[in-house]
Amino acid sequence: MKSFQDQIVLKTAGSMALTQVSSNKCCGGFQKVFEHDSSELKCRMKFGIYLPPKAESASECPVLYWLSGLTCTEQNFITKSGCQQSASEHGLIIVTPDTSPRGCNIEGEEESWDFGTGAGFYVNATEEPWKANYRMYAYITEELPRLINAHFPADPEKMSNPGKYKAVSAFAPICNPIQCAWGQKAFGGYLGADKTAWEAYDATVLAASYSGPQLDILIDQGRDDQFLSAGQLLPDNLIAACTEKRIPVVFRLQQGYDHSYFFIFSFINDHIKHHAKYLNA
Amino acid sequence: MDLYGSGERLEVIAEEDTEPETETETEPEPEPESAQEKLHSADQGADRYGMWDKSSIDLDLPTREPYVLVAEKTGEPPGPGGGEMMAAVGGGKGLPGNKETGSPPLSKFQRFSVETNESLSFEPYIPSDEEGDEVFEEEEEEPGTGVRGGSAGDTAAREAVEGLARGDDDDDVDGFCTECKTPVLSSLGLHNNHRVVQIPTAAEEVKNDLCDTMRKLEEQIAQMENFAGHLEEIFITVEENFGRQEQNLEQHYNDVIQTLTQRYDERASGLQDDKKVRLEALYAQLVHCGKTLDASKELIEAAQEVHREEDKLAFLEAVIPTMDRIEDFTKEELDLKLSPSIEFENCAVDLSDVKQMMESINIVPAPSAPVINPQVGNSAGSTTVRVCWSLFSDDTVEYYELHYRPVLENSTLEGTQPPKESNVKVKETYRTVTDLLPNAQYEFWVTATNTTGISPASEKAVYMTVPSSPIIKPRECTSCPTAALIRWESGNSNPVDSYTVELNEASDDTTTVTESIVAVPTCECLVQLQPGRHYCISVRAVNIGGPSERSSPVTIHTTGTCFHLLEDTAHPCLSISEDGFTMLYEDDDRPISDMIFSDNTFARCVGVLGELIPVRGTHYWEVEVGESTEFRIGVAYRDTQRNGILGGNNTSWCMRHTVTPSRHKYEFLHNGWSPDIRITTHPCRIGVCLDYDMGKLSFFNATLPQHLHTFDCHFLHYVHPCFSLDHPGALTVHNGIEAPDCVRFV
Repeated sequence: MKSFQDQIVLKTAGSMALTQVSSNKCCGGFQKVFEHDSSELKCRMKFGIYLPPKAESASECPVLYWLSGLTCTEQNFITKSGCQQSASEHGLIIVTPDTSPRGCNIEGEEESWDFGTGAGFYVNATEEPWKANYRMYAYITEELPRLINAHFPADPEKMSNPGKYKAVSAFAPICNPIQCAWGQKAFGGYLGADKTAWEAYDATVLAASYSGPQLDILIDQGRDDQFLSAGQLLPDNLIAACTEKRIPVVFRLQQGYDHSYFFIFSFINDHIKHHAKYLNA
Repeated sequence: MDLYGSGERLEVIAEEDTEPETETETEPEPEPESAQEKLHSADQGADRYGMWDKSSIDLDLPTREPYVLVAEKTGEPPGPGGGEMMAAVGGGKGLPGNKETGSPPLSKFQRFSVETNESLSFEPYIPSDEEGDEVFEEEEEEPGTGVRGGSAGDTAAREAVEGLARGDDDDDVDGFCTECKTPVLSSLGLHNNHRVVQIPTAAEEVKNDLCDTMRKLEEQIAQMENFAGHLEEIFITVEENFGRQEQNLEQHYNDVIQTLTQRYDERASGLQDDKKVRLEALYAQLVHCGKTLDASKELIEAAQEVHREEDKLAFLEAVIPTMDRIEDFTKEELDLKLSPSIEFENCAVDLSDVKQMMESINIVPAPSAPVINPQVGNSAGSTTVRVCWSLFSDDTVEYYELHYRPVLENSTLEGTQPPKESNVKVKETYRTVTDLLPNAQYEFWVTATNTTGISPASEKAVYMTVPSSPIIKPRECTSCPTAALIRWESGNSNPVDSYTVELNEASDDTTTVTESIVAVPTCECLVQLQPGRHYCISVRAVNIGGPSERSSPVTIHTTGTCFHLLEDTAHPCLSISEDGFTMLYEDDDRPISDMIFSDNTFARCVGVLGELIPVRGTHYWEVEVGESTEFRIGVAYRDTQRNGILGGNNTSWCMRHTVTPSRHKYEFLHNGWSPDIRITTHPCRIGVCLDYDMGKLSFFNATLPQHLHTFDCHFLHYVHPCFSLDHPGALTVHNGIEAPDCVRFV
């Protein structure tokens, strides 16, 4: 991986300096963790990146961005999901950002597991005291992709976000945060009381008004997921919205699975193939 | 000799000169390294082409027709004319300016004249290297004089003329009139109405013409050689034939002479014997006459003696016995007849056999039995056979008679009439017999006839007509990107030996067969193919007579998998469209008891099986369904329970769509169980991908394309597409579609 290091040294001559935290050979490629100063989040951020063997031969690879859920860091996915096997096979780079800014010393950020640190909710906060740091949406849709494209052999044409991303998939997503307790707490905290502002971050609302390019969405949901029965995830709302708008979704309710990484590990290959189908087309 | 003084000029010439040299493939000239070498090499080139002198003459030439001069020269020995030219050479040498411009075209012209072998060829006058060197040396010895040594006179004179001719061109000729076959100066305009081309082009053209002519000549030579060979053969044959005839004649005549001699001997000895017999008889008679005469005389003497007896008594006593004796003697009649006939029997000499022999010297013997050949390959058609035979070489035959009759397979059965015999007169030793039955045996025999008579019949030979063409059944042919299963009808009522499958990649030329599969015993064949091609496949039936005509071909596109529905498996309520790809379940009020079920028809679900080619690998097809069509689509083993429901057992896998009041429900059923899957957009065109190698059966929304579900199942046997409708509706199968890329990501 000397070539990467050389590249990095070269490119970090600019403002966006990357520091390698770890590097482990994995499935023929390398699983690395980098640290950098985020301009959006105004803190030191870590992210994981898996570089498949194909990336070593200097050809550009499509990038898959994995957004972890509540309480996670960049580590959970890369250590538990077993995604590298399939990513290596299909030549995908997988970027795993952290879930929130860290160490910003904002009052209350460590108070609960479902808000603040480890629960960034990928929104651009508009409320004090969060709005200075909690700009995860901007971070993961702009700053981080820019950073990745500048430092790694990433194919910038092949990435996404409805309209921006080519393929979408999810494991047990919070499909309709406006309607669930987690979402209401987080959106209220980050975005304020005006619920119309929340809608920009609600998948079900977004789907109902979607008019971007054709999507193909794969969602896996464990049937024995405690948060499903607790009404936090609400996939039926998203399915109904997508059925209404004829957005193609395959939603698989997997019998007996819960909300754990064991569930994710079981189906990660299907998801990577789902993305590879579009990213390698 | 100032031209040697200027290195630049020489370089020009040398360069110009080397070009034609390499083109005419004379000896390659080494790259000149110094001015002196250049000069030398230039001289060599120049000498070879007789250039220096010529180039220096041109100015004084009164005419622009160099060929006139050359022609004169070839016609006459170098004489006074040559001398004049010499003078001209001398005069010209003082004017180097013209030579510079003149040299290059000169060389071109030279090249042209040598290569084309035109009538005005300069070839004879090209001085050899030796000659050239001599001249060159002389020139050096006597620079500027313009006078040549006498020894070189002839050569020099020739060169002068030649040079003159070329030198003239040097200045002017820049084109070649293809009509006058003359190098011309295009600016002169004399050939305005003619086609004038560049000299190199002209050279090339004429060269090509020459090559053509040579090729023609070569062909003629080859033809003549062939003909000569043929003549030789005929010569030998004729010689042999005459030799044989001579022998024949001699033998015949010898026979006749021998026969005559024998006859002579026979008759001569006959005559002798006859003579002897007759003479002996005559002699015996003569002897007998003599004896009788003696006896008579004796009696007379005795009588006279008695007569003289004086004594009457004694006389009387003596006379009585004498009288008795005389009486006795005279009683015997005299045999005065000739006992043997003295007339010659004029026995007629029978020479008829000799006559016949004499005649037979000129007539030919009746031929012996011809030899009929056994059947050879490619000699039969479905209704024709070509029969060949041969005769002994000395036989003369006026015509042959070919007899034939069909060989009946069951001719041993009692009561069968022997088949009718046909015959035909033929002049040749072969005959193509027509109007026969296909795939049938006939026995042939042949007799030969000439003026003398008819030969015995030849042996009987059995010939067989080839079969009729098979008929491919396109509706029963299936294919996939790597193979095709072709099925056909024999087209013959009796069995054939085998079939040959011929395939060629479809193109304009459908006659070239790229591959043949021979000795196919049954009426179907699995053919390995390359993906993404178009093939024309046809079949021939083969028996010992040979292969039939090709069947009309079937076209196979190996873009995707093609199958057809097995109508005999269809539930009685399910009707299949004309093209075989749409199945329709209409409201049917018939009571079940009116429906005809066979062992093979689906009885419980309104379903049908397709027949997939038995090739492992990947198969993809699509099914068009309506928004509210309730269907089951998938695969099943061929022997899946006909009274079962697709997906409800472990011999079938299928995607099921049902419409509930609240939503479209999709199930992916095997053994009666389905995962819980929600699909937000109804797939109107379902892609089904069967991958034997990976053991996967995947379903797609083919229009998006969206992956819906994949069964992981290792198929033990070949499976077949299956379809059923839970409610009235229609499904349309789309075949021959290349599997989309998305099938790789399942």
